[in-house]
Amino acid sequence: MNEIELSNPAKLPETPKRSIGEWVKSNLFSNIPNTVLTIVFGFLALYSIKGLLGFILSGERRWAAVATNMRLLMAQGYPANQFIRVWFTLGCLMVLTGISLAIWRSNGVLKIKRIGTWVLNLGLGAAIFASLAPVSANARGGWLIATAVLLLLGYFLKIGSDKSMLPDDVPTVWFSFGCLAVLVLSLWTVPYGHYAFTDGELIAESGRTVAMSTKLPFTVMLLLLIGAFMLAEVARGLVHIPKAKIVLSSLWLLSPFVLNWIVLRDPDFDYGRVFSTDIPIGLLFIGFGFLVLYPLTNPSIGEKGRLVAIALLMFAAFNWIAAFFGLYPMLQKVRISFLLLALAALLAPNFAADNRTRLRFISFWAGFIIVLHWLITAINSPSTLDLQGPTYLGGFSLTLFVAVLTLLLSFPLGVLLALGRTSSMPIARVLCTVYIESVRGVPLITILFFFSNILPLFLPAGMEIAELAAIVTGYTLFSAAYLAENVRGGLQSVMRGQYEAADAIGLTTSQRTGFIVIPQALRVSIPPLVGQAIGVFKETSLVAIVGAFDILRIAAYVVPAQTEFLGVKREGLLLISVIYFAVAFSMSKYSQKLEERVGLGER
Amino acid sequence: MSITAEESTSNYHHQKPPFYRDAIVVKWLFQIGALALVIFALWFLSSQARDNLTARNISTGFDFLSVDPGINLSEGIDTRPSTGGRALWVGMVNTIRLATAGIFFATLLGLIVGLARLSNNWLVKKVGAIFVETLRNIPLLVQILLYGAILANLGDLEFDSGWDNWVIWSNKGVSIPRVFIADGFYQWAVFMILGAIAARYAYNQRSKLHDETGQDTFPWLWSSGVLGVFALIGWFIHPIFSWVGSIFGAISDGISKIPEEILQIALSIAAIAIAGRWIQNFLQSRRTPGGAARLNDDDKFRIIFAGVGAAISILVIFVVWPGLTSWMINSSSDLFSVLENKFGNGRTGGPFGVDRPEVIKPGKFEKYGPSGLTMSIGFAAVFFGVVLYTAAFIAEIVRGGILAVPKGQIEAANSLGMKRSTALRTVILPQALRVMMPPLGNQYLNLTKNTSLAIAVGFSDLVQVGQTVGNQTGKNLSVFAIWMLFYLACSLTISVAVNFFNVRLKIVER
Amino acid sequence: MSSENKQETRPDMIACENVDKWFGDFQALKGVTATIAEQEVVVVLGPSGSGKSTWIRCINRLEAHQRGTIVVDGVELTNDLRNIEKIRSEVGMVFQQFNLFPHLTVLDNVTLAPKWVRKMPKADAEIKAKELLEMVGIPEQASKFPGQLSGGQQQRVAIARALAMEPKIMLFDEPTSALDPEMIKEVLDVMKDLALGGMTMMVVTHEMGFAREVADRIIFMESGEIVEVGTPEHFFTDPTEDRTKLFLSQIL
Repeated sequence: MNEIELSNPAKLPETPKRSIGEWVKSNLFSNIPNTVLTIVFGFLALYSIKGLLGFILSGERRWAAVATNMRLLMAQGYPANQFIRVWFTLGCLMVLTGISLAIWRSNGVLKIKRIGTWVLNLGLGAAIFASLAPVSANARGGWLIATAVLLLLGYFLKIGSDKSMLPDDVPTVWFSFGCLAVLVLSLWTVPYGHYAFTDGELIAESGRTVAMSTKLPFTVMLLLLIGAFMLAEVARGLVHIPKAKIVLSSLWLLSPFVLNWIVLRDPDFDYGRVFSTDIPIGLLFIGFGFLVLYPLTNPSIGEKGRLVAIALLMFAAFNWIAAFFGLYPMLQKVRISFLLLALAALLAPNFAADNRTRLRFISFWAGFIIVLHWLITAINSPSTLDLQGPTYLGGFSLTLFVAVLTLLLSFPLGVLLALGRTSSMPIARVLCTVYIESVRGVPLITILFFFSNILPLFLPAGMEIAELAAIVTGYTLFSAAYLAENVRGGLQSVMRGQYEAADAIGLTTSQRTGFIVIPQALRVSIPPLVGQAIGVFKETSLVAIVGAFDILRIAAYVVPAQTEFLGVKREGLLLISVIYFAVAFSMSKYSQKLEERVGLGER
Repeated sequence: MSITAEESTSNYHHQKPPFYRDAIVVKWLFQIGALALVIFALWFLSSQARDNLTARNISTGFDFLSVDPGINLSEGIDTRPSTGGRALWVGMVNTIRLATAGIFFATLLGLIVGLARLSNNWLVKKVGAIFVETLRNIPLLVQILLYGAILANLGDLEFDSGWDNWVIWSNKGVSIPRVFIADGFYQWAVFMILGAIAARYAYNQRSKLHDETGQDTFPWLWSSGVLGVFALIGWFIHPIFSWVGSIFGAISDGISKIPEEILQIALSIAAIAIAGRWIQNFLQSRRTPGGAARLNDDDKFRIIFAGVGAAISILVIFVVWPGLTSWMINSSSDLFSVLENKFGNGRTGGPFGVDRPEVIKPGKFEKYGPSGLTMSIGFAAVFFGVVLYTAAFIAEIVRGGILAVPKGQIEAANSLGMKRSTALRTVILPQALRVMMPPLGNQYLNLTKNTSLAIAVGFSDLVQVGQTVGNQTGKNLSVFAIWMLFYLACSLTISVAVNFFNVRLKIVER
Repeated sequence: MSSENKQETRPDMIACENVDKWFGDFQALKGVTATIAEQEVVVVLGPSGSGKSTWIRCINRLEAHQRGTIVVDGVELTNDLRNIEKIRSEVGMVFQQFNLFPHLTVLDNVTLAPKWVRKMPKADAEIKAKELLEMVGIPEQASKFPGQLSGGQQQRVAIARALAMEPKIMLFDEPTSALDPEMIKEVLDVMKDLALGGMTMMVVTHEMGFAREVADRIIFMESGEIVEVGTPEHFFTDPTEDRTKLFLSQIL
């Protein structure tokens, strides 16, 4: 409950002019009904806190079940000797975060007074804990000391900044780093306990600090984060900032795919095939793309270009139809590339311009094809990592993976659906509306069942789809419908005059949509889109029902089935509630901030 | 400039552009292409599915609805259903039961918490905020599993666990008194219909009196009083309506005698009439005072599509699904014959009955007797889950709705000398409700859909039963179709209800 | 301005013949027939709802007319996509509500169309845009967003944006109606310069001073019909039609 107070310091009751007594009187006991309410709710609150603490700290609870299975909950059965890959991945993300923080210059500062308020609240929490928790007298004493320290510190921070003994504020970034440092430091000093399964035997030593394999990597992660931030701060003056931002953004977009590949890569990756097949095909397509797209972007080509593009599209479609009937085989990659080439050719007239723009468009296509081919290769080479458990990814990492992938994939689809639903073309509108409304009308779980049970029935003979891929596909199609509704709100907020102005200066429909309508619509839809992202993250838990080993499934079904912890369910569920809460709550706070910013926007 | 001298001097009169440059034609070609693509994809996928199913020796269709699925359900109106259809029906009833109870209690709790968040009392406000923030940020499924786990750890069932046989709880579930529809209900219902008509009349009369004299005439009080009197009298003398059953019987017979062909022809005529009417209205709307309608190509395409739509419906009636009409006749005839059997036969008891829960010990273990309304652990877990989770969202809607009423409105009401309660009832609530209604409807929909998570705790809702039946019979596809229809019907019902209230509220506003 | 001899020698830039347009039952344009010659400045006057705006919007096909022909610079306006493209890039339009793109800087607003429609290299487009911003008197605002400018400045940017396409015709749809009085002059001055530079212009406005001073011809419309056409002199001093007289008596 401290989080609530932490996040709303501005709404905290104290106004400097009134004393505590007056505040209590006016806010809690102003009249008789108010007093009754205070007493009733006070008892209710005290009773619930006491009950919760009693539940958590009761001797019957077996928190060892959670502590021992922490690795299982986070990454399922990833082999310990390969774990370095996971840490490497996390390290990359840390470095990326550090650099991004420095480049996007988060100038936010925190008032010391505000930090003081938070520390005071923490102290208050500790006081409640000390008085209500069913712990031994010694422990109670410890908590009382902690309370006193925290209260004093908070008071000092508040008074100190008042009397200008301390600076007024600190940078938010450094404050966050400080908090993280305190947490990491506590790993080395506080005896959280050492729990593990070693050779099938349960080790539970409550007096020790956590295992070296936990605290060392986390320390390295923190150092990487801070180091990258400081280096980037120094390098900031040397690089072209907008370019750096573009590079970083694309790195962020690519990172889920690349890092996932690092984590799951087959140790015996077949590089021979890459050189003999993949690279030649890629080069071929780049060359082919140049030959097709260069003439098509010639401004004087006119409708002929469109006809060529349509011919290409029909050829690509024919490739797919032929594939379904097994007529003539070719690598799926080639088919996909043809299709993309045809789409690029359709887009080409919009990029017809001087030579530089044309070449830039073509190199964009080339870059896209390279990345795509690489990704297809990476995904197509199955992991032979010897993982325990039926799926190759599990635990919280699976939850994050599914959530991020679903969001990334459903975003473009949702935008397209929204455009279709708001377009002036009746059939397209009806199709999109029917799709959106029927998907929104049914529960997610039925769609997940559909995709995990029934989808294989619809595929041509010989074509198979991994279960996780089926789940992500289903989830993507589901969330795209909701996303489309959010984007539609944004689209409707774009003024008619904007369309007219775009038409009047001669933009084509696709240019108008891409340059004028979508940027404005998305800006308005950011807050609901973040809300949607929270929803997607929360509902990722449903994959547990269709058999994926996400964090919920492990906590609710795997751990309680272990012989050492038979039926120990509530502890794990409580822990993952806290994890979900922490992520979802911070995201929602962030979206509230965004909303305020959009509200104060330029217009 | 890109324009050349040759082009600018060309003769421009009445030149028709080639089709690939005609904006309207391109637009419609694109759409027809998209439609063809979708239809092709659907056709292709379904043909694949047919091949795959034949290869796996599974037949499609809905015949499993009348075959014994051989499954046991954890709870419901029938725990050993004799047919697949019956099993799914049990699931639907369970879902509806859960959803209605959930909607009722979530609204109540949400209202309380939402008002608490607006309270002047700091503590009350904080408790409300913590309730909302905690519950809406933890996934519902996690909550349901957690509540399930906690409930499963309650004490064992004993003869004295609970409040004096009014409520009993244990790790076997929670049991409360059951109110059930008894013998005389349908006869009494006829009384109630008459009562409603009379109440309506009373309301109108009293309202008229109020308008004429300006006195307080309490129309609501009067009409509910009339209804109450009817209910009370009907409770005792409802057997006088036992003859109503024969009317339903006659209607049933009459419907079953309608020849199929006549209905087919009537439906076709209706389809043609609707399309024709639409086209007529469309032409009317395109008519100009200058004379007949001037249609652009866009309009022509629309008219063609309306015609094609009618043709397709006729095709469906006669060729694609010839059984449709006989099904319509049979089912409506069945409905009335079912109603017929609810009357007569010496039904004299009250319309309702109440049974208190009981604990019985048929063998070695105690269990709940059949008399009370027993919430299993599964039901309770899902129920608490959806109620608490949805209440958190509803609370925010309530708060937002009330905060959305401009402060000036309250001040204006005060300045008119209204009482606080009058101002709340006539000024604030109508406006707040108007803001709240659409998102509230959305939440009801979400709640209904979220009951499908019951499968995680083994409660027999439609999805759980469907999944079991589908796995038993291999008819997952048909089951999915039933799921879709059911939930779409629920969505439709709820949005119709919400729209109805919205319209009412707009009238209140005027 | 001496307009008489101009009219005789110049070819037609816009030719409308019997143009009809309906919105549902309401006929917005009733057989509008008029021609506008190259380099001519025509001001369209009339009470609100008289179809002035509809007419001007038909000329670059923001609205489609239903009967009759509109020929702009020798190109007939039909469903032909190529013709529409061509007209749009040759006819500049300035709106009552400016309709600048709020998410783009002033410079990007002006260079967008030259870059993507005229296929001009970015550097050239920017040089051109800066010249135009100089011309309309706000070179220093290039990197600001439209929301940071005053109404008059925004409208001048909108004019620069339309001019960036090097149009042969400029259409103005009540360009000063949404402006505060003190900003009207700065926009009218830019328009005057444009007219003096020989641009073909069609202006819907309520600014009688502008009409009197700059227009070669004035077209008066009421309820979708052209009531009277004439030089400003004739129109303001000696109108023939009763409806024109009534309008002038209400407005002057």
